[in-house]
Amino acid sequence: MGPLIPLGQISSGWDFIIALIIGIAFGFILEASGFSSSRNITGVFYGYNFVVLRFFFTAVIVAMIGLEYFDYMGWIDLNMIYILPTYLSPMIVGAIIMGVGFIIGGFCPGTSYTAIAIGKLDAIVFTLGLFLGIFIFSEIFPYIEDFYYSGNMGNITISEVLGISNKLFTFIFVIIAVIAFYVTWLIEKKVRKTINPYKFE
Amino acid sequence: MNKNYFILFGLLIVLSGGLLFLPEKTNYVQQSPESLMWDIVQPTRYISTDQVAKLIIEKDPLFQLVDVRPDYDFEAFSLPNSFNIPIDSILTDEANDIFNIEDVNTIFLSDDDIKADQAWVIAKRMGYKSVYVMKGGLNCWIRTIIQPQKPSESAPITEFELYNFRKGASIYFTGAELSTNSDIKQEVSITRKKKETVAEGGC
Repeated sequence: MGPLIPLGQISSGWDFIIALIIGIAFGFILEASGFSSSRNITGVFYGYNFVVLRFFFTAVIVAMIGLEYFDYMGWIDLNMIYILPTYLSPMIVGAIIMGVGFIIGGFCPGTSYTAIAIGKLDAIVFTLGLFLGIFIFSEIFPYIEDFYYSGNMGNITISEVLGISNKLFTFIFVIIAVIAFYVTWLIEKKVRKTINPYKFE
Repeated sequence: MNKNYFILFGLLIVLSGGLLFLPEKTNYVQQSPESLMWDIVQPTRYISTDQVAKLIIEKDPLFQLVDVRPDYDFEAFSLPNSFNIPIDSILTDEANDIFNIEDVNTIFLSDDDIKADQAWVIAKRMGYKSVYVMKGGLNCWIRTIIQPQKPSESAPITEFELYNFRKGASIYFTGAELSTNSDIKQEVSITRKKKETVAEGGC
C-alpha cells in the first residue's frame, strides 16, 4: 500500500536515493526521446515537430490511468498524495516567463542538463543563464514576495474545480490527448513537405 | 500513421473508459478479525473521565475528543474543544481528515459507552490505530467530574485525593466558585509584642 514513504513502508532516509534513481531514469528517457536537441523542443512553437507534446501527454495519461487503477486496487491512497497549492496569477506569470525562456533558449531546465550530459555547448550557455536568472530572482524576491504568494487557491485539482470525478476527468483528458496525437501527426505530415524534417540520429 | 499507434490509442481509451464503470472503492486497510478481537479485550482502549478531564485542563495537544452523538445533543452540551462527528457521518471525508491528523490520538465519547464503542470498532476497521473510548461516556462525566460524591470517612487517602481533583475539575468546567463557609467567625486574638528595652550603654 502506498504512498510508500508517508505510510512508513520505506524509511524517509531513502528519499534522496529514490530521487537519484528516478532522476537518472528521467534523464535517460529524456535523452533517449530526443529532448537533448533544442530543435525538437522548440518545434512545438514553430509548428513542425510535436514530439514534446506527444511525449508529455503520453507520460501524463499513462500516470493518470495507472494511479486511478492503483487507487482502486488499494495499492496507493490518492488522498495521501501531496498536491502543490495553486497560486493562480503568479503561476500564469511564471508560465509565460518559462515559455518565453523555452523558445529563446531551446531548453527547459531538465532538458538543458540532459543536453550538457552529451556535451552540447548551447546547453552550457543556457544553464549559465538559468543560474543568472535564479540569482536575479533571489535578489528581487523581497519586492515581489506579496505577488508571489497572492491568489492562493489551496491544494486543489482540476476535477475539483470542474466538480467532476477524477475518473471522468481522466477519461476526458485521454480523449483530448488522443485527438491531439492525431491532429499533430496530420500537421507534421502537411508541414514537413516544405520544411526540412528533423531526423532522430 | 503506423497502425500500432491506433492500437495504443484504442487501449488507452478502453482503459480510461473502464475507470467510469468501476464501482466505488471500499478498500480500507482493514484490521484482521484476530487482531481486532485482541484490541477489543484490551482495557487500555478505555480512558477514564478523570484522565480526559486532566487532558483537557492541561490542553494536551496529542489528544482530540470526538463526540459521536447527534448534532442537537452536541449543541446542547459538549466537552471543551471536542469535535462533533455523529456516528452516521464517521465514514465521510471530513471525519477522515480529523482521524488522519498525524500523531494525534482520538478519544470517542457519547452518552454512554455504546455509540463510542461502535465508532471505535469502525475506526479500527478503517485502519486507524490511535483510537480510544471515554469509559462511561458523558453520563459518567456528569457523575464523576461535574457532581463528584464525597468519599466516606473511612475511605483511603487516594479516594480523597481523587475527590479533591474532581472537585477542582468541576470548578474548572462549570465555572463554579469555591464555597467558603462564611458563618464561622474565628476570633482573632491580638497579642502585642513586648517592647524590647533599648540597650543602654555598651560599646
